[in-house]
Amino acid sequence: MECVVQGIIETQHVEALEILLQGLCGVQKERLRIHELCLKSGPNLGAVPSELRILCDLEQPEPSWTVRHVGGSMRGAGAEQISVLVRPMVESKASKNVLRFFYALGYKLDHELLRVGFAFHFQRGVQITVTVSSVNKMLKLHATDEAVPVTPGMQLVEVTAPATSENYTEVVAAVTSFCEHLAPLLHLSKPGISTGVVPTAAAAAASLMSDGGGTTL
Amino acid sequence: MPLKWVLQWQPNPGTTVNSQILAEVSQCVESINGVKEGRWKATLTYYKPILRDQAMSPEMPRDFIGMSLPEQPSKYYFTLRTHRLVIESDVSVQNIMEKLQSYKSRVALIFEGFQYQLGDFQLRVGKVVPSHSENLRGIVMEVEYLPISSLEKSRQIMEDFIDIWQEALSKRSLPGHFIHVGPNFSEFGLSDHYTSQHTAVQYATVMAQLIASAQAVSAVRN
Repeated sequence: MECVVQGIIETQHVEALEILLQGLCGVQKERLRIHELCLKSGPNLGAVPSELRILCDLEQPEPSWTVRHVGGSMRGAGAEQISVLVRPMVESKASKNVLRFFYALGYKLDHELLRVGFAFHFQRGVQITVTVSSVNKMLKLHATDEAVPVTPGMQLVEVTAPATSENYTEVVAAVTSFCEHLAPLLHLSKPGISTGVVPTAAAAAASLMSDGGGTTL
Repeated sequence: MPLKWVLQWQPNPGTTVNSQILAEVSQCVESINGVKEGRWKATLTYYKPILRDQAMSPEMPRDFIGMSLPEQPSKYYFTLRTHRLVIESDVSVQNIMEKLQSYKSRVALIFEGFQYQLGDFQLRVGKVVPSHSENLRGIVMEVEYLPISSLEKSRQIMEDFIDIWQEALSKRSLPGHFIHVGPNFSEFGLSDHYTSQHTAVQYATVMAQLIASAQAVSAVRN
């Protein structure tokens, strides 16, 4: 399982966000360059259609591959109360033939993206990951060197934390509390519930840039 | 990692494998001073596609195998032999396959038995049984040469050892012998340096041979 929130930020404020995150997380950022391939089952395969993602980490000297399956999000009155999305998620590392393997099983490429940016992985009671990235599309199949931003001028911020059915309320609380620190710069909410940019972002960014993050917001 | 050859028992035409043969093979290893070390177990699962229209099934892979190996407890191996594909993944990939609901596990087989140390060699003798039965389907033997990881460099040593082994076993006049169907690893994108992916490919080849032999037996009967 994982807990997820997302938000958007103008590219011009990303540097300020990085300064803020550096201060909050206390770890070094990691560069992010992930080729994400979304595969869907062919028309005859499975009682119901299925979908998975193959992620190729291009930032490593040798590309590394991950298979990821995300399930439907938690529903019900309890789920609606919380501001964080909770959903089943399984990941597995895989060797380099994994894409050809799923094609041979009857899966087809639905779309592909390139995410470029950075990530912070840290502990705050629970393990949390913040990624800030531009989402890029490829004009030709698998041409990651020629990718263009889907929304120029805007970047996607995602905060995720692994959870289990036993501890998800604690993880939700930790993520919610962490997100409050980012409020002056951006608003984070469940994926699919868009809230746009935050009116205080420009002022908050200016403050962060002027004194390199020495001031608390 | 050290390389290994996976051998399988080939019964003489008109005979089948039985537990007496397994006992004789184990005794033979001990008679050439193999020191029994402990047990080993590997599992192999055939996956079959779930299709909305059964008539389209010829297009789907029929040899989709998943394997877990004792030397890699956190890994899982998939092979599609006719496509010449092998992948190594985390054990969590099995959860992903369950959630996708596009393939389900059909038949599961277990390879298990004892392992022996013999100088620079480690031998494993194992019965092949379905997961919920003791019905013996075959016998496998892993011959691992610990000092070398290169398939080419070890070829002569392995052949010499197998010759010694076959000669020792032949004195027991058993109704069959061990064979080694060496797959073409480069077709699977694997190099001369041995890995557990090579082992998974060898077992997929063993299964193909076992099935072919079983089909040949029933063709003769019919």
